[in-house]
Amino acid sequence: MTRTPELIDALVECATPVRRLRPPVVRAGLWLAFAGLILALLAIGHGVRPDLAQHLRQPVFAAGIASALATAILSAMAAFAISLPDRSRWWLVLPMPALALWISTITYGCFADWVSIGPDGVRLGEEVRCFVLLVLTSVPLAIALVAMLRYAALLRGGAVAMMGGLAVAAVTAAALSLFHDHDATVMILVWNLGTAALILGASGLFGRRIFRWMAARLLASEAHP
Amino acid sequence: MSPRRRRHTPSLTLVTSSGAASTAEVEGAGDQRNTPRTRDWSGLMVRAQDGDRHAYRALLEDMTPYLRALAARCFKASGDIEDAVQDVLLTVHAVRRTYDPGRPFGPWLVAIANRRIIDRLRRQMRDRSREIELTAEHETFSPLPTNLRFDETSADEAALHAAIERLPPDQRQAVRLLKLKEMSLKEAALASGRSVSALKVATHRAIKSLRKILQQPSEPP
Repeated sequence: MTRTPELIDALVECATPVRRLRPPVVRAGLWLAFAGLILALLAIGHGVRPDLAQHLRQPVFAAGIASALATAILSAMAAFAISLPDRSRWWLVLPMPALALWISTITYGCFADWVSIGPDGVRLGEEVRCFVLLVLTSVPLAIALVAMLRYAALLRGGAVAMMGGLAVAAVTAAALSLFHDHDATVMILVWNLGTAALILGASGLFGRRIFRWMAARLLASEAHP
Repeated sequence: MSPRRRRHTPSLTLVTSSGAASTAEVEGAGDQRNTPRTRDWSGLMVRAQDGDRHAYRALLEDMTPYLRALAARCFKASGDIEDAVQDVLLTVHAVRRTYDPGRPFGPWLVAIANRRIIDRLRRQMRDRSREIELTAEHETFSPLPTNLRFDETSADEAALHAAIERLPPDQRQAVRLLKLKEMSLKEAALASGRSVSALKVATHRAIKSLRKILQQPSEPP
């Protein structure tokens, strides 16, 4: 068992200069710019869906995309804000109105699809392409977000992971609506919730381990300065 | 539990304002010192972020009694309190770049401390739900619950000694030196003037004879 003065010695020993974090809104903006870049790359590489202009005139579709993007922006801001220890938990409420609107458009879309396409109207080939698009959008975004929010693992890992997962999920859903001509609403839901659950589980599992690892490193550096 | 929770709240105001009622609760951080000290802490942290080790040491050493007082509200054992303090110090170290000099230091520190203390409390609760503490009933120092029947033991001992007495002299000597006096072979060889191998053979034979004697105690060897 290390005594507290010894621990302080060890901590002082490895106190290198650190760069202060930029304000959370700026950092959220950076991440959203990265998300915009990925969407732009996908638009160039994959091309937007051919009937986009026609779809954008439909209020439900337009509302769906707008609410997904709003959810992404607001939940990213919330995630970056609550990753700091002294910010209020009320930031968690920020994306809720947009999320409610987004979920209601998804639900509406599900019913409409069910009626128009029917239960066996989904082709396998479409789903695979859809899945590739999902992975291409969400994986880089999730990695970037985890890298930017890694400090939160020690403080409010669960809440930050939830908000981050929501932001990634919303951007991915917007990308699918823009680039994919089939509204794979069920898959979007499964994938998005899966992503959020995965990130949440990972932060729960590894947050503490990272902490222990860090503590072990500090103590080892104290033993062999 | 509820009084404890209620007492957490003032700790947030303690460092942001100079409320006399709230400052009175924390031992180790005097009333009049809290507000200026918090400002000091903020300045020290800014210098620590820039790599000033003296400032960092001063900050950590200053913070420790305050953190100890916070932890002492939730833990009784001094070991637990120190563990919690060290947890907080490690976390402060790991996330020190998240401190914004434009904001007060107190809420930042107290939020981290509360987070770590609550985590530790949860872990303790989990451990306690899995572990059973030993009570006096589980301890077996007195002879009755340990099932040691002393009359039987002493009877066995007497029988063993009687059996050893009935062994041939060289075997008896080997058993006495090696088993009863717990000498090593070398020591026994020195004490008896016999070779190590002779002692080994004698002991082996003695054990065999003893087993025979004790299995049929009524018959002579």
